[in-house]
Amino acid sequence: MKKSMVCMVFVVLLIFIGSAGFVAAETLKIGVVGPRTGTAAATGKSFTEGIKLATDYVNAHGGVLGKKMEVVFEDTAGSPDKAASGFERLVTRDNVVMVLGESHSSAALAEIEVANRLKIPFIVAEAWADPITAKNYKFVFRAGPSNSGVVNETIAKWVIHEGFKKAYIVAENTDWGLGIGKLCEKALNAAGIANKTVVTERKGQDHYTELAKIKAFNPDVILAFVYGTGLHYFVAQAGEVHLTPKAIILDGAGPPSLWPDFWNNVGDYGNLECLVSSMHKDVELTKLATLFRKNYEKEFGKAPTDYKSRSIFDVVLIAADAINRAGTTDANALVDALEKTSLTVTRGQVAFGTTKGGPEYHQWMPPMLVIQWQDKNQIVLYPPAGATGSLKHK
Amino acid sequence: MFLLALTNGLVIGIIYALAALGVSLVVGIMNVVNFAHGEFYILAGYFSYHFANTLGMNYLAAMMLSVGLVLIFGMIIEVLLIRKTYGDDLYSLILTFILSIVLQNTYLLVFGPYPNKPPNWVKGATNVFGQFYYGNQRLAACGAGLVVIAIVYLMLKKTWFGRMLRATSQDREVAELNGVNTTALNMLSFGLGCALAAAAGVILSPIFPVTPTGGMAVALTAFVVVVLGGMGSFWGCVVGGLIIGLVENFGAAFISSGYRHVFGFIILIFVLLVRPAGLFGNREI
Repeated sequence: MKKSMVCMVFVVLLIFIGSAGFVAAETLKIGVVGPRTGTAAATGKSFTEGIKLATDYVNAHGGVLGKKMEVVFEDTAGSPDKAASGFERLVTRDNVVMVLGESHSSAALAEIEVANRLKIPFIVAEAWADPITAKNYKFVFRAGPSNSGVVNETIAKWVIHEGFKKAYIVAENTDWGLGIGKLCEKALNAAGIANKTVVTERKGQDHYTELAKIKAFNPDVILAFVYGTGLHYFVAQAGEVHLTPKAIILDGAGPPSLWPDFWNNVGDYGNLECLVSSMHKDVELTKLATLFRKNYEKEFGKAPTDYKSRSIFDVVLIAADAINRAGTTDANALVDALEKTSLTVTRGQVAFGTTKGGPEYHQWMPPMLVIQWQDKNQIVLYPPAGATGSLKHK
Repeated sequence: MFLLALTNGLVIGIIYALAALGVSLVVGIMNVVNFAHGEFYILAGYFSYHFANTLGMNYLAAMMLSVGLVLIFGMIIEVLLIRKTYGDDLYSLILTFILSIVLQNTYLLVFGPYPNKPPNWVKGATNVFGQFYYGNQRLAACGAGLVVIAIVYLMLKKTWFGRMLRATSQDREVAELNGVNTTALNMLSFGLGCALAAAAGVILSPIFPVTPTGGMAVALTAFVVVVLGGMGSFWGCVVGGLIIGLVENFGAAFISSGYRHVFGFIILIFVLLVRPAGLFGNREI
């Protein structure tokens, strides 16, 4: 009797373990890296929202390789050491077939080394520093803005378009801030626009000294490459010292000017501020963009604001498409499939560059907009084809 | 630029001194380095924001209530966590470090990742010496900071409670022999240290909105000020805060604003080389 009981328990256990394995094999895991804590934890929230919509979308359309797609999110806190170890954990512990995401350039620069070493395809979503793709690593792609793309295609052209004569560049001391600041200097010098640069600390709260230097230069426009809460401090303090609204501030990243507490934190000083963004309800380039907005409103009960939720949505779709076309999870086959991508996402038609030698390699640059806050309404200023109004300033 | 650096250095210095006073008090009396000091600052900022913005309370009442709640919370933490570590400085160090991480993640979960700002007490800016505009809220915060520092000074020097604190700081055993209940005093001191962090939080959060991890920078600056001024010294805090505020602002104005906080550390290293116990280095408060 006892023997048969033991046998029965053993058989039940085997069935349980077998079925658990069967269930586990029914999903295919993709890793996402990004900050869920730290100064840019808001990006983690946007990523989480975009991932939810993307996994629902992919799984409703057949999943990947006939399985459900599952996303494992690893918090990097915007720190290179945590980013590198988090990336490695996704590959070695969770056995993900591809890694996506990131929004801090310093963290992404650490992650691409791990991707290259472990030979795992990595699609960067929102880390803009040029060296991420300029290193020309086989397994590293970027389906999002690059510093040179944003400066040369959007910011510099907008500054020229508006007829600004003097510009001041404020760069935070990070890979993103210093990199994009240098590119702006170069582009403005080439256009003959007088400019100066000041470097500020990433975690700095008090900007009065920098603002005094800027005010002495009397610029028409201030190109502020300061991310996170620092941008709110900067805008509020620029208003206090009477630098704005005479000079126009451009938030060179975008999302902090769209966060829920922006107006509470900066007050009226936020009016006429400009920002870079890839999302606006009146400029939806594809049907998927409209579908994303509607699904977002349905799921979260509010309109999408931080465009990074839509960026990660696109990147998840790009990954799923590549896996399905490759027909396998082999890393080399995935790279081949990614290189041949021709997919319409919310921000347009994706095609990665394949010419080696610069940051264009494995890069797809989505179109970016310049938007101005006018009485708490977002008015698209640039490009002219998508403009919903014109620049206001005093 | 010189006048602006001087004015801003003094204002920021007063604010640094206020933030550091709580750390100094707890170190001086209890020999406990409270790594979670910045998180109490942030908690008061969040309380103040929600009482004023969400519940619509008067900002002054919101500030007082926030400081009171953090004082009680600090005393509870002392009873539940810190009291068990007396006699081993390392345990309290590790414990408050863990508490700091737990609180940061709790804030993220409860309050979300976005920066929160209680309402300004005053709006606009004042033209100082006809040279530059300076935010009225900063001037008001500086004034409030000076008032709190003066109250702490008077409490330490002129009250019976202050005499007990100073006696315990100088010699715990002799204080006990003279009838001071040092267990209760520890609880009150820790609560008071947290309340001072909270006072700094409610005064500064209208200028620098609070975020879940914003306390780390506050605590780091407070530790630099305390070490520079001398552990447990009241005047060390005040002078240390002013020195760091001025050095950072002059460094940012005339050398580089990209290394503002580095200048403070350089001065700290220099002072510690010359005076290892800090500028006012003794255990008396």
